[in-house]
Amino acid sequence: MKPLTLSSIFLTLFSGTMITMFSSHWLLIWIGLEMSMLAITPILIEKANPRSTEAATKYFLIQATASMLLMMAVITDSSYSGQWTAMNKFNQASSMMILIALMMKLGLSPFHFWVPEVAQGVSLTSGMLLLTWQKLAPISILYQINMTLDLTLMTLIALTSIALGGWGGLNQTQLRKILAYSSIAHMGWMVAILKYNSAMMILNLLIYIILTITLFSMLILFSSTTILAMSNSWNKIPLASSMMPLILLSLGGLPPLTGFLPKWAIIQELMKNNNTLIPMLMAITALLNLFFYMRLTYSTTLTMFPVNNTTKMKWQFENTKLMFIVPTLTTLSTLLLPMSPMLLQLE
Amino acid sequence: MLKIILPTLMMIPLTWYSKKHTIWINTTVHSLVISLTTLSLLNYFLDISTNFSATFSTDSLSTPLLILTTWLLPLMIMASQNHLSKEPLTRKKLYISMLITLQAFLIMTFTATELIFFYILFEATLIPTLIIITRWGNQTERLNAGLYFLFYTLIGSLPLLIALVYTQNLLGSLNMMINTLIMPSLSNSWSNSILWLACMMAFMVKMPLYGLHLWLPKAHVEAPIAGSMVLAAILLKLGGYGMMRITIILNPPMEYMAYPFLMLSLWGMIMTSSICLRQTDLKSLIAYSSVSHMALVIVAILIQTPWSFIGATTLMIAHGLTSSLLFCLANTNYERVHSRTMALARGLQTLLPLAATWWLLASLTNLALPPTINLIGELSVMMAAFSWSHLTIILVGLNTLITALYSLYMLIMTQRGKYTYHINNIMPPFTRENTLMIMHLFPLILLSTNPKLIMGTMY
Amino acid sequence: MNLFSSSILLSLTLLITPFIITTTKKYETHAYPYYVKNSIACAFMTSLVPMLMFLYTNQEMIISNWHWMTIHTMKLCLSFKMDYFSTIFMPVALFVTWSIMEFSMWYMHSDPHINRFFKYLLVFLITMLILVTANNLFQLFIGWEGVGIMSFLLIGWWYGRTDANTAALQAILYNRIGDIGFILAMAWFLTYSNSWEFQQIFITTHNSDTLPLLGLLLAAAGKSAQFGLHPWLPSAMEGPTPVSALLHSSTMVVAGVFLLIRFHPLLETNKLIQTMTLCLGAITTLFTAICALTQNDIKKIVAFSTSSQLGLMMVTIGINQPHLAFLHICTHAFFKAMLFMCSGSIIHSLNDEQDIRKMGGLLMTLPFTSSSLLIGSLALTGTPFLTGFYSKDLIIEAANTSYTNAWALSITLLATSLTAVYSTRIIFFALLGKPRFPTSTNINENNPLLVNPIMRLALGSIFAGFLISNSIPPMTIPQMTMPLYLKLSAFAVTITGFTLAMELNNLTYFLKLKRITQPLLFSNLLGFFPITTHRLCPLMSMYTSQNTASSLLDLLWLEKMMPKTTAMIHMYTSTTTSSQSGMIKLYSLSFLITMLLGALLTII
Repeated sequence: MKPLTLSSIFLTLFSGTMITMFSSHWLLIWIGLEMSMLAITPILIEKANPRSTEAATKYFLIQATASMLLMMAVITDSSYSGQWTAMNKFNQASSMMILIALMMKLGLSPFHFWVPEVAQGVSLTSGMLLLTWQKLAPISILYQINMTLDLTLMTLIALTSIALGGWGGLNQTQLRKILAYSSIAHMGWMVAILKYNSAMMILNLLIYIILTITLFSMLILFSSTTILAMSNSWNKIPLASSMMPLILLSLGGLPPLTGFLPKWAIIQELMKNNNTLIPMLMAITALLNLFFYMRLTYSTTLTMFPVNNTTKMKWQFENTKLMFIVPTLTTLSTLLLPMSPMLLQLE
Repeated sequence: MLKIILPTLMMIPLTWYSKKHTIWINTTVHSLVISLTTLSLLNYFLDISTNFSATFSTDSLSTPLLILTTWLLPLMIMASQNHLSKEPLTRKKLYISMLITLQAFLIMTFTATELIFFYILFEATLIPTLIIITRWGNQTERLNAGLYFLFYTLIGSLPLLIALVYTQNLLGSLNMMINTLIMPSLSNSWSNSILWLACMMAFMVKMPLYGLHLWLPKAHVEAPIAGSMVLAAILLKLGGYGMMRITIILNPPMEYMAYPFLMLSLWGMIMTSSICLRQTDLKSLIAYSSVSHMALVIVAILIQTPWSFIGATTLMIAHGLTSSLLFCLANTNYERVHSRTMALARGLQTLLPLAATWWLLASLTNLALPPTINLIGELSVMMAAFSWSHLTIILVGLNTLITALYSLYMLIMTQRGKYTYHINNIMPPFTRENTLMIMHLFPLILLSTNPKLIMGTMY
Repeated sequence: MNLFSSSILLSLTLLITPFIITTTKKYETHAYPYYVKNSIACAFMTSLVPMLMFLYTNQEMIISNWHWMTIHTMKLCLSFKMDYFSTIFMPVALFVTWSIMEFSMWYMHSDPHINRFFKYLLVFLITMLILVTANNLFQLFIGWEGVGIMSFLLIGWWYGRTDANTAALQAILYNRIGDIGFILAMAWFLTYSNSWEFQQIFITTHNSDTLPLLGLLLAAAGKSAQFGLHPWLPSAMEGPTPVSALLHSSTMVVAGVFLLIRFHPLLETNKLIQTMTLCLGAITTLFTAICALTQNDIKKIVAFSTSSQLGLMMVTIGINQPHLAFLHICTHAFFKAMLFMCSGSIIHSLNDEQDIRKMGGLLMTLPFTSSSLLIGSLALTGTPFLTGFYSKDLIIEAANTSYTNAWALSITLLATSLTAVYSTRIIFFALLGKPRFPTSTNINENNPLLVNPIMRLALGSIFAGFLISNSIPPMTIPQMTMPLYLKLSAFAVTITGFTLAMELNNLTYFLKLKRITQPLLFSNLLGFFPITTHRLCPLMSMYTSQNTASSLLDLLWLEKMMPKTTAMIHMYTSTTTSSQSGMIKLYSLSFLITMLLGALLTII
């Protein structure tokens, strides 16, 4: 792709998300969503092959449906209330429609099927964008309208997302799919806390993004997309490979790593609102995620996969990939927990 | 506490900057110095906590465990030398760093005053242990063992997190010292029973309680020597320590909730020790014997009398040293015979008489020969159990019988008998190994002369 | 006053010296056995001082020092109780051990680890003395377990032999069963008397408490090999002969009886326990005597005779005569140690031949050993004016004249006559008749290390009873008058035993055994004990532990119940929920269904 095209596409992508985030008018919100959706489609088919084309098509269809639904809900509502402000109190039907639309965009539980398929079809970099940046816009909408959403439905969606994210990941050997499922589960956690403390959701999103970017940049570094390929990583960059389990376990939310912080904060927040069973269920089902991260850990670092002699030499070669950000990200994604008082102050 | 934690953390740079030949000696000496420093904590004048700070403090319950932790690090480093001799330098350093990290976490766990903080560190110990078990274990089963270890502990401890958060909201504080003063009293409702269960289950899995113990034999058997040592000596004691700490906030559901677990423990004690009678695998035998001993500790903690707490604390320390010693001995056998099967190592007394002495002493302490601290611990537990219910003496007494039998069975199988020809040209024991055994036995014997040091808060 | 305590402590210190020497170079030399022997001899001499002081002035004392720990209200400290029992027992035990040590210098001279053997014997003795002199239950427990473990090590001395190892483990097994009782008693006394000191226990405990005494009885039965827990004692013959001598004479096995003697203030008020002790003792003494009748292994016969004598001691305690039981312990030590040493001498001379059928005519070739064996056997049977007579006769008389269980009494009398029978059998087969051993056997008993200890003990077997029973103050009032037939009954049954045995043995010259009869089988197979309980119980528990505990519960049920089921459920759900088809109509369908449901919900 030409640099000029690339930069204009990225500009559209970022400005689209920004527009959604900054505006409180439904039309602008919608425009922002559409912009980012349209802009990411070429990024998804960056390497043109049937798989990525299929993925982009799927993505486009789903997002377009969701956007339409959102628009429809907004229009329906405006016909009742006569205004397009996002702070508006919705009627029940349109509130539910908006919720469904956003769940579709985020890939939450009944509409989660597309996430792994799309993520698997595209390159690692695009996948990273898909699973991180593309969450921002819908979540910012959720953040704005959280007063009007239905608690029961959201809790239900959250619980099923966490569970399905866990179960789906168990069945995978493809790393992008695994990450997609992990994203579904994390989105579930965010939705669960949304009604009670939306700042906590932002914290969770932030940490999720940090962790996911770290993991993706690691994968890019190793150029591996399957568990099998991961098991050769210790030949390529041993130090990075030895950091891998920490990142993975952090993503799984094991104390004392960063990933535990949002989980802990969310559980605490839910408990403060007299929920006991829900955080319990969420925590237990999160163990499913931990299980497949553990499996990754096993094949990456804790066992030594047999290799032939030529691959053993790989670590001696100069690494051409960009990795200046990886150490910082690794540090952030493992050692943030002691900073939790400060991070919780941010809310 | 920083005077212990900081030197421990500084061991990591020490390890990484050490030269090839000095790596073992540097770390051993450094950790030994740290452990000697911690001895000063024994010098407490009052029954309340000393070394008081908002975050870390020790009292007569945690001090012995803390000292045991720091004492065990040099021993683990010494024990691992042969096991790691064929590894490249970087991996040696990584291994030692793991041990040090674990030690740092353990120190903080034992001294933490806040229960949530305690919880986080309690969980934090999982990661280095897991890496030690699954990265440096020998057989393929280690992966399964690692999974069992991690998930049993996590499933047990997640409810604890929820319960702690709940209690935090209820009481406004999870500081153990403050809670001692508040002494909350829960009502006998169903939800409080579940709260009790949630609080205790994490530690019962860790101890482990019979029925939830499956991870333990697997993890112990598959772990490398340092892993087995630290698991048996300290990580199991985390459970006992946690139970003793958390029971403050759990009265009165304690009184009726404890019954089924007491029964289960007593029953499991017999079951696991009779499993030991039929083990052919040396490490598995030691692991099951740990389960059986820990069952006694669970019984003691659940009975909740001063005598039983004395017994539990003493037994934890005694068992920590003894089981670690046994694992070290099993490892020296393993490094020579290259098998964990006991029958293959028979008749070693003929070839290695000094090692046979260590085996003898280890078995005797394991079966609680008077006047070792093991006996003091077991006896106090038995007394407490007897005064709780006279009938327990049947089970507990049977357990002492079986314990003696399997300990001596282990001794006879590995040391006695005619030696087999395939062990004709084995290595003699190194000075390092003998030192290791002495450093285990030395505290055991010295503590027998003054057991009140390790008798905990109730003494 | 100071002489008393300082000589006791001196005597104990003398015993510990050789133990400390083991850390020095001296341990490596050949002189170490001499050190051990001499220090025991010195300790014996020193311990005579407190004994004489006790006999002269009735001086008793408790030495308490080195406070160990205090748990709440219970204080534990190192304290020695030097009373009637311990002051008299110490010299006896030291004297016997001294002889045994000297004997083992001859017996074990070719063993490469002879120094270690002596160390073990010494520790064995020390633990026994700790047991005897202890003033609290915990200290007694130290000695109690100490003798158990040391017996394990000594019985399993020849560790290359499977039998030795099994026998050692058996000893521990039966002892530990007894320990359950001991721990029960400890727990009971702690709970109800809040102390382990004997004095406080005796003050605070009342006669209605049967449970702790039952525990003590169980403990004593385990240690002293009473019926039911007896099989380890004959098996223990796998150890070297000096070990058997020490084990059976003055240490270990009498510890159980000694424990009951220590607790006689409690026992004498509880009739139930007394009856149980009496019956247990009576059964043991008869059963083991019957077992001894048909054994062919010379050591086994002597071992069973020990068991029988222990039963007799229990009977004595059962008729509430603890001091008589103690007297019997002391006298029994002399001749039993000597009997073992004599059989050791015979075995050694005949190139490790233990079968009495392959002996014969030893009176000519081993005159000294034979005569000592004769003296020992006669003393054992209670021949008048030998050592055994002074205690045994008194016991039988006391039993005869007491209001007691007639069955138990008659059983005891029967066992007494059987003692004569098996003693005769040893004498007849080993000493009399014509040699039946290989002609090339090189027989030599003229070694001072062998002759001296046997001589010393032979003198002891003749005179010790007289000396002891004449010197010690009678603690129980002996029966002053009784009919002549009662007075002579003990003597009469023994004589009957002798004559019967002589006649039966003479018959063997002419009589050929046609078929094995049931009573013979019963006796020869030790009352079918080894093949029933002794094998069956371990087998059953082993099967239980393998099948139930290990396979069924641990490896199958618990594994299946939690990890495997969880894994199965999640595997199933995982494959069900994660569709890999990747068809877009699925997405639309999920959207449609949700929308419909949502609409439905909104409408309702």
